[in-house]
Amino acid sequence: MSREYSITYTAENTYEHAVNDAHWQFLIIPEQNNSQDFIGVTFENSLNAMIEYSINGYGFKTIRIHPKINFHKITFTASFQLIKKDINPFSFDPDPDISKSYSTIDELNFKVDFDSFLRITHFTTLPKSNTPLFSFDTSNSIFENLKALNEWTFMHIYFKANVTDVETTLDEIIEKRHGVCQDFTHLFCALARENGIPTRYVSGYLHQGNGYFGDSQMHAWAEAYVPTIGWIGFDPTNNLMANTNHIKVAHGKDYKDCAPLKGVLYTTGRNETKHTVKVASQQQQQ
Amino acid sequence: MFSSYQLNHDLYDEIFEDHGKIKEVYKKLFDIYGEHSIRDYVNLNEKAKSSFFNQGITFQVYDKEKTHEKIFPFDLFPRIIDPKEWKIIEKGSVQRSKALNLFLWDIYHDKNIIKQGIIPMELISSSANYLDQMNGIDPAGGIYNHISGTDIIKHNDGKYYVLEDNIRCPSGVSYVICNRTALKRALFGVFNHYKACSVTNYAENLLDLLETVKPNGVDIPNVVVITPGMYNSAFYEHSYLAKTMGVELVEGRDLFVENDFVYMKTIRGPEKVDIIYRRVDDAYLDPLEFNPNSTLGVPGLFAAYKKGNVTLANAPGTGVADDKAVYTYMPEIIKYYLGEEPILNNVHTYHCSRPNELKYVLDHIQDLVIKPVDEAGGYGISIGNRLGKDEISLVKKQLQANPRKYVAQPIMSLSVHPTYIDKSESFEQRHVDLRTFTVLGKDKEFVLKGGLTRVALQKGNLIVNSSQGGGSKDTWVLKK
Amino acid sequence: MLARVANNLYWMGRYIERSEHIARFLNVNYFSSLDAPNARSQDRQFVLRSMLFMVGEPVGEDVVLEEDEVLYKIGLDADFIFSIRNNVKQARENANSARDLISTELYEAINKFYHFVLNYDREAFLKNGLHDFTVNVAEMTSVLRGKIRGTLLHDSLYAIILMGVNIERATQIIRIINTKYQDAMNAQGSYGDKFGNSFEWTTLLKCAESYDMMRRFYKKTPISITTLEFLILNPNCPRSIMNSLNQVYRHIKVLDPSKAYNKNSTAFLVGKVRAEYQYKYIEEIEQDVQLFIEQILNSLSEISKKMESEFFNY
Repeated sequence: MSREYSITYTAENTYEHAVNDAHWQFLIIPEQNNSQDFIGVTFENSLNAMIEYSINGYGFKTIRIHPKINFHKITFTASFQLIKKDINPFSFDPDPDISKSYSTIDELNFKVDFDSFLRITHFTTLPKSNTPLFSFDTSNSIFENLKALNEWTFMHIYFKANVTDVETTLDEIIEKRHGVCQDFTHLFCALARENGIPTRYVSGYLHQGNGYFGDSQMHAWAEAYVPTIGWIGFDPTNNLMANTNHIKVAHGKDYKDCAPLKGVLYTTGRNETKHTVKVASQQQQQ
Repeated sequence: MFSSYQLNHDLYDEIFEDHGKIKEVYKKLFDIYGEHSIRDYVNLNEKAKSSFFNQGITFQVYDKEKTHEKIFPFDLFPRIIDPKEWKIIEKGSVQRSKALNLFLWDIYHDKNIIKQGIIPMELISSSANYLDQMNGIDPAGGIYNHISGTDIIKHNDGKYYVLEDNIRCPSGVSYVICNRTALKRALFGVFNHYKACSVTNYAENLLDLLETVKPNGVDIPNVVVITPGMYNSAFYEHSYLAKTMGVELVEGRDLFVENDFVYMKTIRGPEKVDIIYRRVDDAYLDPLEFNPNSTLGVPGLFAAYKKGNVTLANAPGTGVADDKAVYTYMPEIIKYYLGEEPILNNVHTYHCSRPNELKYVLDHIQDLVIKPVDEAGGYGISIGNRLGKDEISLVKKQLQANPRKYVAQPIMSLSVHPTYIDKSESFEQRHVDLRTFTVLGKDKEFVLKGGLTRVALQKGNLIVNSSQGGGSKDTWVLKK
Repeated sequence: MLARVANNLYWMGRYIERSEHIARFLNVNYFSSLDAPNARSQDRQFVLRSMLFMVGEPVGEDVVLEEDEVLYKIGLDADFIFSIRNNVKQARENANSARDLISTELYEAINKFYHFVLNYDREAFLKNGLHDFTVNVAEMTSVLRGKIRGTLLHDSLYAIILMGVNIERATQIIRIINTKYQDAMNAQGSYGDKFGNSFEWTTLLKCAESYDMMRRFYKKTPISITTLEFLILNPNCPRSIMNSLNQVYRHIKVLDPSKAYNKNSTAFLVGKVRAEYQYKYIEEIEQDVQLFIEQILNSLSEISKKMESEFFNY
């Protein structure tokens, strides 16, 4: 069984003074992968500026806009259709040899191959402390530990919108123990990496029909690499494994690699940006 | 003219032997210069200066009140390199450039040199100059460091050592050519007695080699030079290179990207650009991919590059390989990729990131030069035997606080060369180095036969960078 | 050629030309007023006011001007945007950004010019340097014109510079006419048609380096109508508006050689303005000189704007 999704992303930008030269790059198109297919994209903007599709430095599809006229306001509307296959997050064989997996992640080749997702970045820097926040129990499999970390993160941080922003770093999250999906994900990534597990920040859409945490914006979760299994998605904001409700757009070392909208523009004065995301789905009969 | 010249026997003098005898290759020059009085020389020197000034071969210096235009100090007494020594320098420079190029390919692909434990992973993962976005990109012709500047010195053992490899945007080549022009104008007679190799062929070779790395599917590539603008201290060089290659000199705002192709805005509309010799740093190249505040770059440029529609020279992300910590592994890098012994020596380097080496450094600061690994232009360097007590303890603190940021090397005694000093109106010994310029193309390379001899004009100073008050000399590589 | 660089070259041409006209205006007005035939034309305040009017910084009749201050301001003041010094500085900045395109000889000449102006000593200038300074500025601009003509390829780059030079020349000649017209109203002659016989017409011709040629052409003392006819309509006078328009037309044809009808092109507009003055006669203009001045300045600025949007848009 699979699900048919239709996602609408809108952004409305208003500027106090006229903008005379602006470039935007959107990283919002769902990724084509094993569970996401038949992706349809339509994109419109209120100025009717030319739309360019491209690939960013990390290999994800982008949309670029460069209006050639002056303006005070621009709105963007993107809609995507796709088929998401039903994922069973537990559809793999349990780790037959736990200690072998731990020795794999300790190998130089492994560390080199996954270097960028083991790296400590600006948003995944943990405050210095004498006792680690979360240590793996090596008698359990890596997967079990990651599940535990997922739950730990979910329990440790309270979901609270509008108290943090895209610049908030982990020292504040850990001290105040509140934040949104982005903060949950950064903390999960930082702790998994501290335990030697390559972990990537994922940006995407969440189908919220089930009362999940998130807001009407883009969602974030994490993917961790487990030897012999591969990349597995964890959603620490909801203490879930990524599933059919998670529609992935891009991944990176942290938020900075996945920012849904990047803009370069020349204007002065105040400006305001509003995003909304709507995710609707329909069960497909097979 | 040399009656007042003081020979310090502790230093390696490029033209005098220990007992004051003049070296064979300089003899004729010495005689010719001897026919002039110091007055003549002062006059010629003044004329050369005003010629530089009128030609606008200047850079801007900023101080509190206003900007000044300064000429890059130039010395009329040339440095001569005999063909045998030059052969070593040339081969050594090419060897290093090629090894660095293979190293860059490797660390942006399979990273075998790290997997085999030859260099540590941290060298890359902690380098601010390593660009993840370059992973898996195959630059046209397999070339990353199209242009390399190698800083070479002669130690008091008479051997050449490399101090630094510059493979981001090495500058200075225009001065090589200007120095030659100025010397020819002032003292044309000397060229009748020496057969110096020409240096004016740099631009044509550069263009030629850049054209070998054109994007696929382009017949006659359109090459441009991109500059941060006319207020950049190297703007003269950018305009010189564009002019002598006969290509457009553009700024970021002259270019735009559409459907992953790069165009420049001309009076007759957009014109496609295929190869960009960029003199803008990585971080500023594309605000959508790198520093979002950059106004010098071109939004979308990196996407066009990744697609293979435009060549950037040097490639983005080359900076990781001229990190001073990578420098210390050069002998291993050369052996690993080329299976050769290094032709030019490396200065032994202590890594402060290694606890036992840090200890050695802390105990021997007086005998060492401490360098930050990621600074260019001679900034942040401390020379142990020049430091006072307080400065030593400050440096020690810095080292302990951030050991990864520093390396240390024995204090190398740069060779000295007679240099005319305005203040004393006489020739004095001054320390010199040599920057060579190597251009790599697809299956082709070129080394400028000459190079920039930089002079530390302050007595006893070892730092030759122009930003630190250095001057330069015309450098003759003699034909065989 | 890059649009931005073309724009810079156009303005380089304009600034070079502008510095020359200001310098000559200063020189001629100052020195010819010293022994002018009537008291009004000799009056310091009158001359200084005229200079300020010409550079676009007019002052009212009630302001008392200091000679040193006014001369310094127009000549060397770094803080006055219309000063000769700043014009030359602008010319060089514009040349700088196009350095790779223009000849070394031209660049070196501009650079020397810049250093000459920049380093001119304030004291010397005020004490007895006015003549030396202004004559040198005028001469250096002719050297530049020579280098432009003699060392650049006569292609679109050359055409753009000369568009700038000629549009600026026409503009400056009109500004000078306007200034001297006002002066003639204020300092009228002593016999017959007092306005028509003003001494200021002679000064006007000298400001445009056209006095000798005008005398040769008319073989009479300049009066208002002949002076205006010569400086506005005579296509053979190298400083006339007509001549400048002809040059502009010639050069726009290099940039836009198309023969197709396009009423929105710069070439079309230049052709139209040129045709209008080609078939004007001086009596029409003389009826309302003020109106003519407004109209032609408008047309020139329209041409400049059109060029900007057609060729320099970046």
